[in-house]
Amino acid sequence: MPGVTLRGLTKRYGGVAAVDNLLLEVKPRELVALLGPSGCGKTTTLRLVAGFLTPEAGEIWVGERCLSSATAVVPPERRRMAMIFQSYALWPHLTVAQNVGYGLRFKRGMTRTDRDRRVSEMLRVVQLDGFQARYPSQLSGGQQQRVAVARALVVEPEILLLDEPLSNLDANLREEMRFEIRRLHETFGITTLYVTHDQAEAMVISDRIAVLDRGRVAQVGSAEEIFQQPRTRFVADFIGRTNLVDAVAATPDAVTRGALRLRVASADLTPGARVSVSIRPHEIAFATSTEGHAGDNVVSGRVRRVSYLGDAVDYQVELADSDVVLRVAAAPVLRLRAGEAVRLTIPPSACVPLPE
Amino acid sequence: MPSSVVRSTFDRSVPVWITTAVTLVLLMILPLGWLAWVSVSSEQGTTFANYVQVFGDPHLQKALWNTIVLAFWVGAASLAVGVPMAWLTGRTDLPGKRLIRALIMASFVTPPFLGAFAWVMLAGPNAGLLNKVYRGLTASDEPLMNIFTMSGLVFVVTLYSFPYVYIMIVNTLELIASDLEEAGAILGASRLRVALTITLPLALPAIISGFILAVLQALALFGSPAILALPAGFHTITTQIWTFFQYPPKVEQAAAFSIPLLLATALLLQLQKRLLGRRGYAGVGGKTGARRPIPLGRWRWAALAGVFAVLACTIVLPYAILAKAAFAKAWAQPLSWDNLTLANFTFTFFEYSATRDAIINTLELGIVTATVGAVMAALLAYVTNRRLVPGHQALGFLAVAPVVIPGVVLAVGLFIAYTRPPLVLYGTLAILFVAYLTKELPVGYAQADTTFKGVHPELEEAGRILGAGRLRVLREITAPLARSGIIATWCFVFIGVIRELSASIILFTPATKVISVVIFDLKEEGQFAAISVLGLFMLAMTFGIVLLMQTALGRDFLGAKD
Amino acid sequence: MKRSRSASSSSSARKRLAPLVLLALVLAAGGASAQDARVAEARREGKVVWHTALALDSAQRLATRFEQTYGVKVEVHRSGSERILQRVMQELAAGIKNADVVNTSDTGHYVLLRRKNLLARYTPAGAERFADGFRDPDGYAWGWRAFPIVVPYNTRHVAGADVPHTWKDLLEPKWKNRLVMSHPGYAGSVVTQIIALEKLYGWDFWAQLAKNRVMLVQSIHDPGRTVLSGERAAGVNGADYGLLYTERRRPGTTLAAAYPRDGVPLIFSPTAIMSFAPHPSAARLFTDFIFTREIQQLLADGEGLYVAHPDVTYPADRPKLSELKVLVVDPDEIDRRTEDVKKRFVELFGA
Repeated sequence: MPGVTLRGLTKRYGGVAAVDNLLLEVKPRELVALLGPSGCGKTTTLRLVAGFLTPEAGEIWVGERCLSSATAVVPPERRRMAMIFQSYALWPHLTVAQNVGYGLRFKRGMTRTDRDRRVSEMLRVVQLDGFQARYPSQLSGGQQQRVAVARALVVEPEILLLDEPLSNLDANLREEMRFEIRRLHETFGITTLYVTHDQAEAMVISDRIAVLDRGRVAQVGSAEEIFQQPRTRFVADFIGRTNLVDAVAATPDAVTRGALRLRVASADLTPGARVSVSIRPHEIAFATSTEGHAGDNVVSGRVRRVSYLGDAVDYQVELADSDVVLRVAAAPVLRLRAGEAVRLTIPPSACVPLPE
Repeated sequence: MPSSVVRSTFDRSVPVWITTAVTLVLLMILPLGWLAWVSVSSEQGTTFANYVQVFGDPHLQKALWNTIVLAFWVGAASLAVGVPMAWLTGRTDLPGKRLIRALIMASFVTPPFLGAFAWVMLAGPNAGLLNKVYRGLTASDEPLMNIFTMSGLVFVVTLYSFPYVYIMIVNTLELIASDLEEAGAILGASRLRVALTITLPLALPAIISGFILAVLQALALFGSPAILALPAGFHTITTQIWTFFQYPPKVEQAAAFSIPLLLATALLLQLQKRLLGRRGYAGVGGKTGARRPIPLGRWRWAALAGVFAVLACTIVLPYAILAKAAFAKAWAQPLSWDNLTLANFTFTFFEYSATRDAIINTLELGIVTATVGAVMAALLAYVTNRRLVPGHQALGFLAVAPVVIPGVVLAVGLFIAYTRPPLVLYGTLAILFVAYLTKELPVGYAQADTTFKGVHPELEEAGRILGAGRLRVLREITAPLARSGIIATWCFVFIGVIRELSASIILFTPATKVISVVIFDLKEEGQFAAISVLGLFMLAMTFGIVLLMQTALGRDFLGAKD
Repeated sequence: MKRSRSASSSSSARKRLAPLVLLALVLAAGGASAQDARVAEARREGKVVWHTALALDSAQRLATRFEQTYGVKVEVHRSGSERILQRVMQELAAGIKNADVVNTSDTGHYVLLRRKNLLARYTPAGAERFADGFRDPDGYAWGWRAFPIVVPYNTRHVAGADVPHTWKDLLEPKWKNRLVMSHPGYAGSVVTQIIALEKLYGWDFWAQLAKNRVMLVQSIHDPGRTVLSGERAAGVNGADYGLLYTERRRPGTTLAAAYPRDGVPLIFSPTAIMSFAPHPSAARLFTDFIFTREIQQLLADGEGLYVAHPDVTYPADRPKLSELKVLVVDPDEIDRRTEDVKKRFVELFGA
């Protein structure tokens, strides 16, 4: 099972680079999610890997083979890959069995019986046993999606590509299918690239997440790394909710903004430099509920707005003597009201400084 | 280093696309080029004398003015008819929508010159049946309407132009979410007020665009003005250009007179494109939510009566009078048992020698043009949709460009181009084939384009990533899915060919007559019965093909699903 | 056409006549075989392309008759005289030579065609006996049929007192919007009529007539049809054969025709073989055919035409040409003035 290496990959449309000198390495058997907002280049990257697009510069290697470069591209049918499309792309004029078995026709040395057997096996795996003779129009959205999965897996590809395969499903089904896809990945162990704009999905499904911003990889790492140690403002803002405070470094380990002073999670700031500080809402605590620890930042403020969310309550707190408004997530047990004066404790480790 | 490196396997086909592009260019540029050249030439060399002569002649100026008047009023009247009908069928709970749509589609495929001819029998000021009935009922001396007037001509042309407006508006209305209208209704606006103040402005680009389409129709028509205007003593540009070919022919002047018509058409189309943007329909934004029909209440029956009054004028009355004239000894006499005869049929099909050859020619040309046209349209639409070659936008543009050339102008250009060496096509069916192909390709391309837009590229990509090469994908995936759409393309082109008159009337020779020309010949003879017989035959052929198309597509080609 | 000689019955002359009879038989056989050779040649050519201004049904009937007699197909192209000339010349200009026999009702055409050397010289059998006005001394274009231009009217809409007796009667304002006429751009006979009346009354006549808003139709038979249908009350012109002839004889008909006292234009409709005819033998065979007494009698009986053949008898109710005041226009004048006439007509009448 090979891995995928993208080196210096560039693709331009008009004058704009949709994929800009992109570097990414996917280890064998790994599932990497390409995550980012629309327009960040994740689908373009996927289509470059599939061979539908030719890069302007850079290379795509799968194992020992260079499949794409600016001068030559191996056509999609020879790349030994499979892809699951957002629209599923099931052929309406073919039955489920014909859809799933299509790719097997190009495998050498397979007889008809072999094909049928493999198709039946795969349909059983995706729990669509008995659906061989149905047509896609007779299936529900979830069933169609599973046919698409079966069709891709049955050819035993070296690389599996998924292009937002769950976005057409409703919320409940989506959650269910996330786990299903993860399970299939663990069973078959195919090197996979998974494009999505949904961070929860990326976090559940993938081994590593590559966050894309304007054609480049902003950060790649595990879900935990990305969430807790975002390396750029963009990543911090995109993954989970966060407060971003623009401040100036006063000392190597603290920043100020007006009257507000915060100790941060780093000790090598350049005094005078502009710094953005990311503070996750759930890492801020109300001083009424907890004592906090020594060394925590303590600030006073007033509750501006309360939003009850069921499993948590979202507070907007205006800080005293400052223009900063922080969002704080707390358990519903704490019943603060708008207008109340409060005190917040923020551990320095929760204040992650980001380069401007 | 790269292994098994292969560039796109379709590079070999680029020359094929280039040949197609060159063919397209030749089809259009050659006749237009000759047209422009001849319009400025004379015995003494290059000159503008032809233009001076043509536009300085007060008689010809009148023809120009008549054309402008005709086009404008047809546009306005088509809006007045088409927009309410579109609103009624597209937005309200009017009953009988299916029948109405079928009748409108029938209006769309009826050749306007047949309609004009039928209306001569219906509304000739003295012998016209409607006028006779009117005089009988009211004991008046004056007729209800005189079809041999500008208003008569506007009336008849509108009857067969409003479907263009209708289709345009209906498609737009589908995109306007009900929410926008219901918002107005909740605030207290009546149905009419909502229609006028909310729906109308949103549909305005489509409305203007529909107006332009109807105007373009009116500008290019030849048959209806020849039938209705000439007896009344006035010309339009098209009939005048045709007259220039009477002996001794004044081809230079015909060319000079054609150029402004061409420019006007090009300008109008450019305007229309600007209005609609790249998509070709008026998108109005907003969510395309569910559309709830607006209840008409007590206006229901009045609206229905209005709609059927219009459709009676386009279909019921004309077809009925054609049938009567075909089966009667004397069309103007009341229908009675001893007025019935089959002699007209025997004469037309068995005695009149021109008929059989014309039918054969028409069928031959129809089948060949439709087949070649469908193949070309499919190739072009596929290439442009899948962006297979650089400059595919230019190809797409070229495929649709001929719509800019009115039939009679195209014919003059082709006449000039192909009555001289090295390629003398005049006198053969080939010149008619070239004319028809050029003229119908845009329609064919539009349908093929829609077809391929309906085949998501991901369906092909899914095949490729699983191991199928490009040609295999085309054969096993694209072709079966596009088949019914391409059949529809074939049908569109075929129908267009069999009813074509304005180019045929200039390019035919006695040995290469087609049905429409024979009908026109018979009209000059005043052979009402034979015309009616042939007209019914032509309609039967047309509707046969329409039926074929509906079976292939599974819905009527105005867009409603079965 | 067979040439036959009746043999003398006197027995004494028999001996003297025997060689003559023998000669006659040989000649007849030779003539017959010459005829057979021509028919065979015509059959080989396959068809004759015939452009004619004769009314459609008549033309078609004639064609069928010829086909039945000789087994040679006739490709009939019926149209108005002016249209015929246009098509033939248009084809010729593109190098297409596809006309054998051409018959129009505009004598001026033949002046033009002769001038351009487009006519073949051929004398149909029996031509030396053709009636006056039908003969061509040069032998190119022979008058085949003739008819007067009359004023058709509908008896239901035109009371006895209102029937026009002269052409000038049509100028009266009471005829406004009630007249129909055939267009000189289509029908050759109308050019003749316009010139004839212009010579009588000047262009002013036509200018005045235009004020009556005359409905314009194409074929010279169309005014009769229009009047019969009741669409208009009377026609400014109409060919007095074909429809006008057969319909007027039907009992109970509402169609009538007036012969203006100031003169009826007499239209000769010549026929000629084109110099470039692709089927020359068939063309000659056909030309002879349409001049035979049998066919010409058919035209006179069935159509009411005046024909070239001297032995044809006309129905009793047909006015003799000698009884009518006819207006004849010189073909050269027609040829010279035709363009100008058409131009002025369009200026006066609009289209």
